[in-house]
Amino acid sequence: MTMKKKLFLMGFVFLLCSCSKSSTQTITTQGDEVGMEDTENTSTVWSIPVSEVLDGGPGRDGIPALENPSMVSAENASVLFDGDLVLGYKNGDDIRAYQHIVLDWHEIVNDNIGDVSLAITYCPLTGTGIGWNRVIDDQETTFGVSGLLYQTNLIPFDRATKSNWSQLLNESVNGSLEGKKADLIQLVETDWRTWKTMYPTTRIININDTGFSRTYGVYPYVDYRTNDNTFLFPTPKDSRLPLKQRVHAIVNGDVAKVFQFSDFDSTPVIKDVFEGKNYAVIGNANFIISFELEGADRNLEFDYVFEGSSDILVEDNQGTQWNVFGEAISGPRQGERLKASHSFMGYWFSIPAFYVTEIYANSN
Amino acid sequence: MIRILLFSLLLLGCKHGLAQTCCSGGVPLSNNLGLPNEGKGSFLLGLNYDYNNLNTLKAGSSILDDDSRKRITNSILLNMGYAFSDRFSFEALFTWVNQTRTISQFGNENFSETSGLGDAVFLVKLAIPDILGSNTVLNLGIGTKAPFGKSDLTTEEGFQLTADLQPGSGAWDVLGWLSISKKLDFRPSATISGSLTYRATGANNSYLNNAAVYEFGNVLQTNFGYTDQFFIFNTIFNSVLIFKYRKAFDDRIDVSEVPNTGGEWIFIRPELGVQLTPAISFNSRLEIPTYSYVEGTQLTPTIRFTAGVTIKLKKNTLNAIN
Repeated sequence: MTMKKKLFLMGFVFLLCSCSKSSTQTITTQGDEVGMEDTENTSTVWSIPVSEVLDGGPGRDGIPALENPSMVSAENASVLFDGDLVLGYKNGDDIRAYQHIVLDWHEIVNDNIGDVSLAITYCPLTGTGIGWNRVIDDQETTFGVSGLLYQTNLIPFDRATKSNWSQLLNESVNGSLEGKKADLIQLVETDWRTWKTMYPTTRIININDTGFSRTYGVYPYVDYRTNDNTFLFPTPKDSRLPLKQRVHAIVNGDVAKVFQFSDFDSTPVIKDVFEGKNYAVIGNANFIISFELEGADRNLEFDYVFEGSSDILVEDNQGTQWNVFGEAISGPRQGERLKASHSFMGYWFSIPAFYVTEIYANSN
Repeated sequence: MIRILLFSLLLLGCKHGLAQTCCSGGVPLSNNLGLPNEGKGSFLLGLNYDYNNLNTLKAGSSILDDDSRKRITNSILLNMGYAFSDRFSFEALFTWVNQTRTISQFGNENFSETSGLGDAVFLVKLAIPDILGSNTVLNLGIGTKAPFGKSDLTTEEGFQLTADLQPGSGAWDVLGWLSISKKLDFRPSATISGSLTYRATGANNSYLNNAAVYEFGNVLQTNFGYTDQFFIFNTIFNSVLIFKYRKAFDDRIDVSEVPNTGGEWIFIRPELGVQLTPAISFNSRLEIPTYSYVEGTQLTPTIRFTAGVTIKLKKNTLNAIN
């Protein structure tokens, strides 16, 4: 065989191999360590543009959610600075904090607190921490990290149906639960010092016993949270505010209204009307929370009485004192609770990426 | 002896000159460049299989106790080298890539796979004999990596896959290559050699449906090795021991550096070759990481194995350089 023939033959074989295929596939084999069922989501129908859904890189469960993590008391919290942010939750006397330095690595915590099945969902790329009820259609499930992103925001999946959800839309966007809304559970996002001062009996995730080897305390995204120019995936960038500024967003359907920390410099209690609903939005330098005022509550006037040494936040004109979770802890309405608003904290850019967004303008 | 010392210092000095990347499930382009110039008119062909297993999760230089993620890259590499003269030659490297990502977590195993034609390298080389003393050859090369591989593969559902799972980079790179070898006077069958490859990466301007620009980090790789031949069973064997240093700079997306990319690696690479016939040799090598420092947290190489054949389709028996 001449050299030309040999070369031609080898080139031909190589081209055959080369052209054979360029394809991708994802297969999931089932196991059952965290209550997973046999269902696999085979739906290819999405309520959001599939072309804008991105594989974030780690793959499904590549970022492992935590399941009922071990908790420790505040004095035993490790690698946590006073200024580090936590997501706080309170169910009666069971008070828990979920620190960002853990959520940066796990993004979802499935927890049971008394009678509440809570999923803490946190997206480090949008800075959004939102609590979801894990009981869906009377069935308890857990959520995992799909590894997918939409508008650079977390797409959790529920292990019961493998349906995919959009965190910022708070609804399932693919699978048998498509269109299903998540029931929000109110969280308070603030710094560790403020939280543990309000709730000295709080417990917090034990970073020495998460079951995973991670460098907690080392922020995995370098300067992402502070640099307005750093983005890892394409997303719309609304320049009305600094892109990574933390804001409080109240959402209603497909519209949202955001409040900035500076809005509360001189007015810690803002009563506002948005989309026909009345809200009390209360903030200081360390947290912003809001409540929807229904019925007679719309007429309440609130005095800001927060001193930092307890969770007492405001006192209304009827003499009832309310804490940061809207619980009446003294006064004529003790035992009642203000309605939590549909709201969460997040980086500014992420809100207009999902909602038609209005910025609160403080007239003062 | 002084020349040997100077030569060695030059090789070691190269190591500190530049830097590189890697998570690197990528195709081992730099590892597989450098077919020798066998003299004017000679034509060489190499066909190799490369297996790269990444199952070590590291943060900085610390190994994390987590083996839930595994990346495997299987590559088939075809190089062709033709010598226009005893000094000038041309080399082309074509690749086919299969990449898998397996995540074993919570009793589930999630598996993703991409495959297809990878990027190709074209290199023009110049061999300069005896520039650093007798029995030395300095090879210089410059070339490009052409984006023959697809960089816009999606999953079956249509999701855009990240850059490191794509068979191709979608970018034209510029490559500089330098190698030096010297046959030892006191042991004619032995050679010491060093090489340096620097890849200045280009940008993929159509990343994620034209929504972003992605650029892999520039890469520097140096090798320093000792080769010796031995003759048993009427067959010539080549044994090689190479120390490889690789540095990768951070990847970039648009104007931002991508966290958890880039780092430095040192490998030790034993190789064994067999001269099957005067025209065909078999080569095998194992690449074992001995040290690495990764930026942030990354899956990093655990083991790499390469095997293949080099065929002299046409040789020039009068070649005096290599």
